[in-house]
Amino acid sequence: MTVLGGIGFTAPWLLAALLALPILWLILRAVPPAPVRRRFPGVALLLGLKDDESVSDRTPWWLLLLRMLAVAAIILGLAGPVLNPQNEQADGSGPLLIVLDGTWAGATRWPRQTEAIEAQLTRAGRAGRTVGFLSLTRPEKPAFQSADVWRSRLAGFTPEPWQPSPADIDRAAAIMAELPSFDTLWFSDALEYSGRETLLGAMQARGNVEVFQTSGNVMAIAPATYEGGVIKLSVNRTAAGLERDVILRAEGRDPAGNARILATATAYFDTDATVASAELSLPAELRARVSGFSIAGERSAGAVTLTDDALRRREVALIDSRNDAEGLQLLSPLHYIEKALAPNADLIHGGLNDVLPANPDVIVLADVATLSPAEQGPLTAWIEQGGMLVRFAGPRIAASDISRSEEDPLMPVRLRAGGRSVGGAMSWGAPKTLAAFRDSSPFFGLEVPEDVTVSAQVVAQPDPTLAERAIAALSDGTPLVTRKALGQGQVVLFHVTATAEWSTLPLSGLFVQMLERLAVSSSSASPAADSLEGSTWTPLRVMDGYGALSDAGSLPGVDGADLLTTPTGPKLQPGIYASGDRRLARNVFAADATLTPAGWPADVPVRGLAVAPEQPVAGWLLSLSILFLLADVVASLALSGRLLSRSNATLAALLALPLLAQPAPATAQDTADNFAIQSAAEVSLAYVLTGDTKVDDVARAGLTGLSDVLFFRTSIEPAPPTGVNLETDELAFFPILYWPITPEQPRPSAEAYTKLNDYLRSGGLILFDTRDADIARFGAASPNGRKLQDLAAPLDIPPLEPLPEDHVLTRTFYLLQDFPGRHLSRDVWVEAAPPDAEQIEGMPFRNLNDGVTPVVIGGNDWASAWAIRSDGGPLLPIGRGYAGERQRELAYRFGVNLVMHVLTGNYKSDQVHVPALLDRLGQ
Amino acid sequence: MTTPATLRATAEEQAAHLPALLARAEHLAGAVLLGAHGRRRAGVGDDFWQYRPAQMGDSRRMVDHRRSAMGDQEFVREREWQIAQSVMLWVDQGASMRFSSSGKLPQKADRVRLLGLALAILLLRGGERVGLTGTALPPRRGTPQILRLAELFTRDDETDYSPPEHRAMIPHARAVFISDFMGGLEGVQLALTKAADRGVRGVLYHVLDPSEEAFPFSGRTVFESIGGTVRHETLMANDLRSRYLDRLAERKAELQRLCALTGWQYGLHHTDGSAQSALLWLYGALDARAGGVA
Repeated sequence: MTVLGGIGFTAPWLLAALLALPILWLILRAVPPAPVRRRFPGVALLLGLKDDESVSDRTPWWLLLLRMLAVAAIILGLAGPVLNPQNEQADGSGPLLIVLDGTWAGATRWPRQTEAIEAQLTRAGRAGRTVGFLSLTRPEKPAFQSADVWRSRLAGFTPEPWQPSPADIDRAAAIMAELPSFDTLWFSDALEYSGRETLLGAMQARGNVEVFQTSGNVMAIAPATYEGGVIKLSVNRTAAGLERDVILRAEGRDPAGNARILATATAYFDTDATVASAELSLPAELRARVSGFSIAGERSAGAVTLTDDALRRREVALIDSRNDAEGLQLLSPLHYIEKALAPNADLIHGGLNDVLPANPDVIVLADVATLSPAEQGPLTAWIEQGGMLVRFAGPRIAASDISRSEEDPLMPVRLRAGGRSVGGAMSWGAPKTLAAFRDSSPFFGLEVPEDVTVSAQVVAQPDPTLAERAIAALSDGTPLVTRKALGQGQVVLFHVTATAEWSTLPLSGLFVQMLERLAVSSSSASPAADSLEGSTWTPLRVMDGYGALSDAGSLPGVDGADLLTTPTGPKLQPGIYASGDRRLARNVFAADATLTPAGWPADVPVRGLAVAPEQPVAGWLLSLSILFLLADVVASLALSGRLLSRSNATLAALLALPLLAQPAPATAQDTADNFAIQSAAEVSLAYVLTGDTKVDDVARAGLTGLSDVLFFRTSIEPAPPTGVNLETDELAFFPILYWPITPEQPRPSAEAYTKLNDYLRSGGLILFDTRDADIARFGAASPNGRKLQDLAAPLDIPPLEPLPEDHVLTRTFYLLQDFPGRHLSRDVWVEAAPPDAEQIEGMPFRNLNDGVTPVVIGGNDWASAWAIRSDGGPLLPIGRGYAGERQRELAYRFGVNLVMHVLTGNYKSDQVHVPALLDRLGQ
Repeated sequence: MTTPATLRATAEEQAAHLPALLARAEHLAGAVLLGAHGRRRAGVGDDFWQYRPAQMGDSRRMVDHRRSAMGDQEFVREREWQIAQSVMLWVDQGASMRFSSSGKLPQKADRVRLLGLALAILLLRGGERVGLTGTALPPRRGTPQILRLAELFTRDDETDYSPPEHRAMIPHARAVFISDFMGGLEGVQLALTKAADRGVRGVLYHVLDPSEEAFPFSGRTVFESIGGTVRHETLMANDLRSRYLDRLAERKAELQRLCALTGWQYGLHHTDGSAQSALLWLYGALDARAGGVA
């Protein structure tokens, strides 16, 4: 590459073509522009005029300049200019090793680091050097390949959420010792870790070392703690210097389940401080939703701290048997348990039925023997939905018959009468101590203090299930704590009192630890390592180097003790771990850790990440030349006067071009929506499309006629009728469905029947019309009748009866007794009246306030009687002469009554209308 | 495209804005026919002139009973003596008129036809007899004449620069020539002198497109007449501008000189101007008492 004036050229000899520009200038100047033909009546006045000069009008100088610039831009562009060419120093030779720290500390600036690496790769590629990569957080023997190969794989390098461990360092040093000599470019994340000097020495032994390191500050957030009602957060940075505010975000899910920022707090770094803290006071509901805290503007695992049970406070309802009795505080059966739970649980007091609606996490019943059935039911339901009931024994339970002969659902075991008492004044033997916890017990791993003794307890009946339900036992094997699952929840019974009367358990620290293990309470401080001894924790979600959480997949479980002490690494990834009901967060940055900036010896050159990458500008220059040429086209047209006269159409076409990209045509979804909107906008009578065009046309014409009659005579103003395809269309928009029966029509699918049944149940009405004058008297003798029976079999149709004389259909609008259509059959079937409907003495009809009949079945071919042509005249002849017209009128009246019945229900059956109806009937 | 119907509609619209034009009539017997020009003396006409006492010889039918019933004497109602004037139009239909320099402007042909027909409508409403020069349509009265005129005005003439039609001019009538007068001036001179010989007075109305007045061309150009018969190529059109304008001014001066010689009036109109004002000017010119008419 040749550098001329700070711009590199890949093909500098092409620039010689610039010399040809003056020649081009002369040539372009000599060629006159093409003549323009113009129609001009004034030409008569021009005849005989001679031009003064024989030389034609020259191309103006600025147009020539434009063309020259275009050509010059093409030449320059083809010469391959490059901005910021990277050859300020001699490139080395031989293999190049690029070492990455690859820790979370560099995650925020990872894209910039990638750019810097890419610039170095470009340089190495130009110098023909092979390149190897070594990530200290995942040391593997580097493969030396050409820079171009690496460039395509560069995006695959991601930061890890841990620091290089001593083992990693040793391995990296061992790898380097095996390699032949190389130069090193070390992309450091600016954070100190042990073993760095060793590595540097190993690199310097093999060749030159150059360090790239960000000048920015690395920040990390310590785990949140909850003290005195506020959440305390602290932020560390590597270097003091400027005072600045850091915004901390509390992240979690809102009630709808969407991840969002629930709250923010501001931490302030003083000028010379490396630690800043912030406090956040959140309501308990919101606090329970917080899943983690992060530093705004930082994108690394260190800038995220996850929360676990430490922030959660369980709601515990405490209920004892004698809340009405006044007693000394210390004699309260709940005193010790209150003391044990108060620091890290929200306590609720009150009656059982009062606390259940609050849906607490745990309900503690201290020596409550019997529960009323009104309490027992909701309590059982609450447990089955995941609640936890903790019961303590006591004199009342010992004295009661609860769970005696058969197991009480709210007791884990059956109990013997009376309980037992050991080590008292009236008994032999010493008070019993606790046995060590078995490994199936949730308490496994807890240290059993010697001084915990039990002097009285209730005793479980030996049952086949007793062994598995006992989770703690006395030294003689008697169960002390039993537990059983109930639905999704559980019932736990402590066979001793919650006070110190029967045992010293409530006085010991073990009691608190047991409650913790049962997830009755959760500790506010992070648990000590020894309290997790023996438990296994499985990762639920783990963090990557950027601080993003993902499902842990099949990562193996971690021993409880390791979880807290071992530094994070591939085997212990930061994230959320679970053991039973308990959750523990392992964060990248521990509470007491500090950030130390990496220091480098003076002989190692340290450079920032900021690079001005090489930028080829050939493309820009070529685009520029095209722009110049376009401008030349416009200018030439304008000069010759053709811009506005002839190219108007062209110009318009060019401008119109983008307009052609119209949005895609309406989709099927739109069609369905449009159908729904149109149908729901107005009342529309609907008919079932049978597939027989003639029948469908008559049905449409009939409903059109009926709609018109309704429009003229009543306050119903229906939209034009709608043909409904049972398979595809939604039925819910239509109050009435007219279904003419043809023997040929296909049986609807199962889904269509589901829709039809939903339609009937939700108040729709289907008018079945066999159109056969009911010659078979509603039997199966006619083909239409058989088809009707076939079609209606899967429908949810109630018992039917012939339309009784006092049915509300006879008086919803008109007073009718006949329901003719094109045929004059009396039989129309509707839902049968309830058997208990009785006629009151002196009333013309029974009291039948029972909703709309879901079906009306008949064979009078009503649509034919209603049908009108497009000009409003009747479509089909009915009967003969005037009697026929009367029949048509009655058919319309039946239609009006039917639609009124659908829309107003049994309103006219209301007794309020009786006097008026009686009056009219009397006439 | 101009159809008789639309042309008439637009012309009616233009004419509706002016009062009926009464062209000045000249008292020459040959051309005088009964018309709508008040002669300030009793005679045959439509307008009331005076009541005079009935005399011997007046027929009973002439007695105005409404006036006579007011007294004992019988009166006869006299009307003003009215005569009509013949106006002959020549509207240039040549190919050179079918030109407009931009889409926003009407073609010269459209404008002159509009003006011609509007003028004809005004004159016909005033009771004049209007026709075309030449034998195609002799002057007649009445509304049907508008239709005939409109019909003839839509016939394009394929001649590039058509000379004024000067045949069959009625002596002592009035004439209106509307054209761009881009063709040879000999025809105009012939027509005007012939008109002057017959005592015909009139108006020479010169209609030009703005671009013909400005010559806004430059560069290497081939100019062609609309009919394509005349063609001129130049290498530097902008150089020709001043000479073109000189020739145009010369032509206008020549036309004005001819008019002055023959007692005609000369008017100039550009198609970017308003048709209404052009009609107004024509109205004034035909009505002009200051026109030097004896």
